[in-house]
Amino acid sequence: MSIEAGHAGLIRRIAINTGAGYVPGMNAVIMGAALAAGRLGWEMIGIRDGFDGLLHPDRYPDGGLLTLSPELVENLDPAGSGVLGQSLRVDPFHVRQVTEDGMVEEVDMSDQLLERLKAENIDALISVVGGRGLSILYKLHRKGLNVVCVPRSIENDIAATMVSFGFNSALSFTVEMLDRVRQAAQSARKIGVVEVLGEQAGWLALQAGIAARADVVLIPEIPCDLQKVATRLKEKVTPRRPYGLVVVAEGATFIDDPNEKTQTSSFKASLSPLATGEASEHVIHRTGHAAETVANKLQLLIAEETYPLVLGPWVRGGVPTAVDRQLGLGYGAGAVRAMRSGKYGVMMAFAPPDIQYVPLSEAINKIRTVPLDCEFIKIAQSLGICLGREL
Amino acid sequence: MNNQANNSSAPTGTVLNIQRYCSHDGPGIRTTVFLKGCSLRCKWCGNPESIRQKPELAYDPKLCVGKKECGACLKPPCPEGAFYVIDGPDDKIHINWDLASNCGEETVAVCPTKALYLFGERMTVDQVLDEVEKDSSFYRTTGGGMTLSGGECLLQPDFSAALLKGAHERGFNTAIETACNVPWRFVEQVLPHVDTMLHDHKMTVPERHKKWVGVDNKRILENFKKAYETFPNIDFIARTPLIPGINADEEHIRAVLAFIRPHKNVIDYELLPYHRFGLGKYEFLGWVYELDDYKSPSPELVAHLQAIIDEAFGRSGKTATT
Repeated sequence: MSIEAGHAGLIRRIAINTGAGYVPGMNAVIMGAALAAGRLGWEMIGIRDGFDGLLHPDRYPDGGLLTLSPELVENLDPAGSGVLGQSLRVDPFHVRQVTEDGMVEEVDMSDQLLERLKAENIDALISVVGGRGLSILYKLHRKGLNVVCVPRSIENDIAATMVSFGFNSALSFTVEMLDRVRQAAQSARKIGVVEVLGEQAGWLALQAGIAARADVVLIPEIPCDLQKVATRLKEKVTPRRPYGLVVVAEGATFIDDPNEKTQTSSFKASLSPLATGEASEHVIHRTGHAAETVANKLQLLIAEETYPLVLGPWVRGGVPTAVDRQLGLGYGAGAVRAMRSGKYGVMMAFAPPDIQYVPLSEAINKIRTVPLDCEFIKIAQSLGICLGREL
Repeated sequence: MNNQANNSSAPTGTVLNIQRYCSHDGPGIRTTVFLKGCSLRCKWCGNPESIRQKPELAYDPKLCVGKKECGACLKPPCPEGAFYVIDGPDDKIHINWDLASNCGEETVAVCPTKALYLFGERMTVDQVLDEVEKDSSFYRTTGGGMTLSGGECLLQPDFSAALLKGAHERGFNTAIETACNVPWRFVEQVLPHVDTMLHDHKMTVPERHKKWVGVDNKRILENFKKAYETFPNIDFIARTPLIPGINADEEHIRAVLAFIRPHKNVIDYELLPYHRFGLGKYEFLGWVYELDDYKSPSPELVAHLQAIIDEAFGRSGKTATT
């Protein structure tokens, strides 16, 4: 491999880790970063399982750190699962452990983390994280960590970038599954109600629903009126076309039904303040709840049979699409370029056609939701897709 | 307030909540005092605000008047980025729980409407008992009294012992709810002042206990056994939070019965069907709820397992069928 001449600053050894939750394309980011670092003559170290490999090296017989040599990276399968693994949560400020006295507690290990990085001569970190991880990395940056974040999100809800890697793979798989559900609904003469990921942002439901030509798409940004949805379905589901397809994001909300009261506990839950009420209203009760709710209510409102299906977590796995491979490689290489320019405390962002970086302070506390006047909404309306109510 | 409240040598404790008119935490009508801090991390915990021992930030959006009218928390001394407003018509404050994790009294003080407040308050023994005293007439007529719950009330042994002793001195029946994952010396210090001990048998197999609760159950079972034998006059009531797929099975129920039945002072075994009502509080605290896709047990399953217990205790009722 030829070494790119130029300014390499003081950095010679950098690290990369990945946050909680698998997203297709993790290896592509690692590969992109390691190859770009290699061309600068920098050594790239992978931290296993979030920060665990650094904070708890004793748990790893082969060591908690992995040197991402050019030879290793060359042979890394971009379609494979993340070579570094993940932990449940990447939060060195609240590390759960059991004391000598047998008590479980959370301790702040952020200082130890910075010390360990220093002891390993690691100058800077590339962290592949979701929305919440950005806040934690921002906190670490304020404590002195040189960090560049790469946004990953299945739901594409990170505001500061047009596209997070992982979204396109999830979208492709979702469309493929919706096509199958559509065919199954057609042969069974039923209405398929499919729940897809999207707690606060409906991009996946909306874009997949358009691509699969769904009859109805329900997203968190548009509280839906199921009476109106039923009326539209009655028009669409006819003896000549005796089937339907409804796509519902897991965080879809409904216009208040005065006949339905929020369930409250008469026992333990009532003992603590805030157990019910406003704080609980937008909580996702469990995977499948949205599909079940919509399917059951629609079946009561129209003379057709519905069946709920949950795609949810399935779309987190699988092979990355060409778009995600390119994006992952681009983000990884771009993160090294940011470091080379001395940019820290930033997140990589795709602003077509460029890959840029934005300060973490501007990337946190924002969610990229679907604007009601966006092009995808207009497309859906033009195609006659019901969005839950009149806009 | 009683004079002792100002006595600096009197133990103080962190109290999460004092709940009046409780009927499930021991005999009669009771006042339950929730102490803050727990030594386990049950994935199904319905009271996550009770887990950490120190007071922590809580937020009631209903009381927030928004950025235009107030916005006090968007400025120092509140940490940068901890509080924010989303673009759009919603003017209310949102909280970045990761950046607000160290916010305490200084932060709460800036909020004029008390939308920001703290879960947990330092209280003296007499402050708590004066609150408990308000329902003393109910205790006399129903045989009720004060129950210490949590969190884990045995994690504050000085405070708990003083509270229970004080309750006895005022003539109240006393009870505690505990999982007993504490050193025996804590148990030993508190139990002399207890009339009823409600205690959790969450899981039978140690490895599974560790997986779902955070530690294995070896010390817990040792403490239970020692408590049954050392304190014969206490009424012990065993309990199991019943979660399908985790512990809602005959094997666990029968194992618990085998453990408790040799001890005559274990007077009952109760099932607490799992519910998800605490889920909103995880959002409120910025915590991840790890038991995402579990359902409450069916009434039929609860009835079936209850019948096994009734049969073991020689009570009339339906006979258990398999």
